[in-house]
Amino acid sequence: MSRSEELNQQMDINGIEKEKVLMVGAGGIGCELLKTLVLTGFQHIHLIDMDTIEVSNLNRQFLFRKSHVGQSKAKVAREAVLKFRPGVEIVAHHANVKNQEFDIDFFKQFSVVLNGLDNLEARRHVNRMCLAAGVPLVESGTTGYLGQVTVHIKGQTECYECQPKPAPKSYPVCTITSTPSKLIHCIVWAKELALAKLFGDKGQVSDLDVRPTSNEDGAVSNDPDEAQFFEVRSGENSKAYAERVFDRIFGQNIVTALQNEDTWKARRRPDPLFLEKVLTEDDVVTTNGVCSSEGTISASASLGLKNPQETWSVKDNARVFLESVQLFLDKRSKDVGKLVFDKDDQLAVEFVTAAANLRAHSFGIPMQSLFEAKGMAGNIIHAIATTNAIIAGLIVLEALKILSNKTKECRMTYCVEHPSGKMLLMPVEMAEPNPRCYVCSETPLVLELNTATATMREVLEKVVKRKLGVTDPVIMQGSNLLHESGEDIEEDMVAYYTALLDKKFVDYPTPITTGVVLTVEDYHQDFRCSLHVKHRETFDEEKEPEGMVITGDLASLNNTDASAQPSTAAPSKIQNGHAEEEEDDDVVMVEPVPKAATAGTKRKLEEEDTQPTEKRLRVTESVPIEV
Amino acid sequence: MAQRNNKYDRQLRIWGEHGQTALETARVCVLNCGPTGSEALKNLVLGGIGSFTIVDASKVSAADLGNNYLVDWESLGQSKAKSVCALLQELNESVGAKFVEESPEALLESNPAFFAQFTLVIATQMTEAPLLKLEEICRQQKVMLVIARSYGLAGLVRISVTEHDIIESKPDNKVEDLRLHKPWPELQSYVDEFDIDTQDHNIHKHIPFAILLIKIAEDWKKSHDGKLPANVRLFKEAITARRRVEEDEDNYNEALKSAYIVLFPPSISSQLRAVLEDKASDVDASSSDFWIMVSALKQFMANEGQGEPPLDGAIPDMHSFTDYYIKLQKIYQARAEADVTAVEGHVARILKQIGRESSPIPRSTIKLFCKNARNLRVLRCKMLSDEFSSRSGPELQRLLAVEESSHPALYVLLRAVDHFAATYNRFPGVFDGEMEEDVSRLKSLAVGLLNDMGGGGASLPEDVVSEICRFGAGEIHCVASIVGGIASQECIKLLTRQFTPIQGTFIYNAMSATSLVLNV
Ligand SMILES: [Zn+2]
Repeated sequence: MSRSEELNQQMDINGIEKEKVLMVGAGGIGCELLKTLVLTGFQHIHLIDMDTIEVSNLNRQFLFRKSHVGQSKAKVAREAVLKFRPGVEIVAHHANVKNQEFDIDFFKQFSVVLNGLDNLEARRHVNRMCLAAGVPLVESGTTGYLGQVTVHIKGQTECYECQPKPAPKSYPVCTITSTPSKLIHCIVWAKELALAKLFGDKGQVSDLDVRPTSNEDGAVSNDPDEAQFFEVRSGENSKAYAERVFDRIFGQNIVTALQNEDTWKARRRPDPLFLEKVLTEDDVVTTNGVCSSEGTISASASLGLKNPQETWSVKDNARVFLESVQLFLDKRSKDVGKLVFDKDDQLAVEFVTAAANLRAHSFGIPMQSLFEAKGMAGNIIHAIATTNAIIAGLIVLEALKILSNKTKECRMTYCVEHPSGKMLLMPVEMAEPNPRCYVCSETPLVLELNTATATMREVLEKVVKRKLGVTDPVIMQGSNLLHESGEDIEEDMVAYYTALLDKKFVDYPTPITTGVVLTVEDYHQDFRCSLHVKHRETFDEEKEPEGMVITGDLASLNNTDASAQPSTAAPSKIQNGHAEEEEDDDVVMVEPVPKAATAGTKRKLEEEDTQPTEKRLRVTESVPIEV
Repeated sequence: MAQRNNKYDRQLRIWGEHGQTALETARVCVLNCGPTGSEALKNLVLGGIGSFTIVDASKVSAADLGNNYLVDWESLGQSKAKSVCALLQELNESVGAKFVEESPEALLESNPAFFAQFTLVIATQMTEAPLLKLEEICRQQKVMLVIARSYGLAGLVRISVTEHDIIESKPDNKVEDLRLHKPWPELQSYVDEFDIDTQDHNIHKHIPFAILLIKIAEDWKKSHDGKLPANVRLFKEAITARRRVEEDEDNYNEALKSAYIVLFPPSISSQLRAVLEDKASDVDASSSDFWIMVSALKQFMANEGQGEPPLDGAIPDMHSFTDYYIKLQKIYQARAEADVTAVEGHVARILKQIGRESSPIPRSTIKLFCKNARNLRVLRCKMLSDEFSSRSGPELQRLLAVEESSHPALYVLLRAVDHFAATYNRFPGVFDGEMEEDVSRLKSLAVGLLNDMGGGGASLPEDVVSEICRFGAGEIHCVASIVGGIASQECIKLLTRQFTPIQGTFIYNAMSATSLVLNV
């Protein structure tokens, strides 16, 4: 009898080899988990992951080798394990778990779902799919030496969304566009504005230029000349383009901003940087002609800047900026026009570091090394093999308890960095479902907005997608459909929905005003909740910049009712540095151990006073509830 | 360089370049490469240790294929050490890989000097008698020892080192040392530049909270015979009185939040005090750099520091204009540098006294030491032979009576199974037919063991005894993955000299998902 059979017998599991499990994520935890599942005797495993392998995965994702870089994680992981244990059935899906193909019926075929995910959005989605399909979910996360495993069973325990999740950091737009005071502000500017403006999708509105008209609210400029400026002109070579952009964004834009005397009354005035001053005749950019290192196109390789931990001089930053712009245009032209920042994109990281440092220098903010800037720009999570191995083992043990119907014995287990008291692994009993959770119990929400001006488009963007985490919303007023999304909708309905999209709520066939109940559904997620509309004339521009507020149970669920905040945080109060709640290819968002369990241990996630107070620039796409 | 940085990017952010270098120079030996040993080593190889050597005499069997990922079908019947070694090498080509096809027990007898070449030895799945021998050798040869064991659904991890000095203990709750209660002259003169009652509202709400606190405390002292407020409430009232409510001033919010640090500046922690009072800080020519720096630290605190350790120079984020903040940051950094220079002076004098001028300690090391001076730690582990002696009995007896968990009983039983094996030449529960007898045999061995240690009369929970028998000595993969994971994590802490390793015996119970560190 093998060890795994012995274990299964002890745990009263009959035929573990017949159980079918779904693993979502083949990253740091995923690799460990797949191996541990197979060695525990599981024989039918589906594996979903949309990512491809990066060099920075190799220090812990042990199923991958250097030669696999660029290939599908799910597929390589499957092949690696099959090579060792050929008898096992592993189905690899190189796809987004949110795809329609993974519908409720797909989820229903599994005995348990095991998450090793790297972002909140996907986690929320899998949570809803598991609730809808009635399949138990084992959820996990690690950061450095910290980790956690939690179990979610419909009707018995909390769902993943019963407790509020920390919101990603956001910064006031004016701090980013006009008055940066920390390097992180410059990095956000370089990543979200400069990189996007030069190489991103031109259709996206960007606030890059500081116009004389732009005040502290950071008004968006939609000047057509402005948009044209960043196009490469006919006959212009990449070098000339890079130099022209340099003088504009580090020189002319600062000069323009300086005209706004009010802004600088009590602040240090920034120094415009013009290329002829920064790089003199003798400093002409000379490259060594080798613009790649191990197959990666790199400006620092081209300029011979070897140590990523060293802070470059202003001249070097200028050189890296010019060189990276040229390399994008000359060597990566296929990405230009659709580039999105990725922390594993060497050239993009170099561009962002140089641009952020140059801007920081202008504003008298100390510059940083590529290594540090990369950490900030990518919100990089510390990740090591040891914690992933421990967490994967714990996931399998919880899964075994579920499969042996010992759900009462399931625990949330926290792996703590320092023995708090005398424990390294801290088990906590599972909590009951939160009766006020809008995901797993049908708690109505109150939506306050100005019905005379609000439109469906705004509600969809600001509330339904961003705050409720709904992917494909269907909106109904009673039995009347007001909005649907998806592919197989009749043409006349599409036209009808489009017509409604920008109509004011009061002008609807049946006006939407106080007392009306809207139903929000997502058939794919089998998610449903009702929004009780309440008309309100005015909103606090600082505290409620979106002009609509979700209150009632959603707000108390998140415990951050904006109107109840005694005081608000100002821009520079937002902490910079690595963001614990951001995403990496590993898994993140280690949650604070419940207070009762820590007995006073100070945890990291205590940023209750960083509520958005002004118009904010979102740093990431995945914005969870941030009421 | 770039490649190394990319590959290790995520972990460099935890332990830094110097931590990585420490790993890359480490020579690790693993005794027995079942799933526990293989998993522990796999994590270290991925992390990039310098080299490893596996010692294991066994051949790959069908059972190994069922619980160890680092052996494959093709190596069935061949050396397990060889197979694991080859597969590990594939994971990271920059790690040196070796194996010795011999049992650790035999090697201990035939060639004790073998172990001297390593930085650290991980002993997995070994029983009491050879462990005692191994510990003796490791202590003599100054090799760090980590013991790891998976036994059915139970696990154990134990560190044995004579002395382990930690500069970067990286505690969770780092204290902020801002010296607001006694600003030094440079800081004071910058504070004096501010008029905190300025009528310019914009300036008023951008003065860093550190400046506000120093000023307001100063004003209080002027009107209260040079005394600080008697409690935080009074001080907060004084702060609130200066703020302009209609301006929604965040710097004042921060000042209120940090008001207590003026009245209760960080004290010298008991751990630091223990380090300062340690006999090893009376240094001589044989002292390590760490103790020479501790000795210098004592002199610094008695002189320049006026009782305080060096300033670390870090300041928290403050709501402020950038230029105010940067100026403040520079003042703190300058003071920290000056403190490093002072400590460096003491170090030089001490080195001269003990005749070691020729091998100075680099400033970068002294700087790291000063920056972390408040959190220095020294770990000394009890010898296993002492732990197993009669002195530990009463403490075990107490734990068995007090602890509601199964861990103290598991601790005793994990030792008792070794006595069982020594007596019956097999572990309990191996034959289904003798299960009941084995339970009572194991129980009487465990009780006898407790008696020998002076802990007679303690009772062992029946269910834990039979559980240990039922599971047998097997290594279950998911338990091995957890135990190996924890063991490798402790190895990294030891090798990088960062974070505080487990102090005591870590006992894991997979059934209840609980763990406990026992100190007996
Ligand atoms: Zn819920």
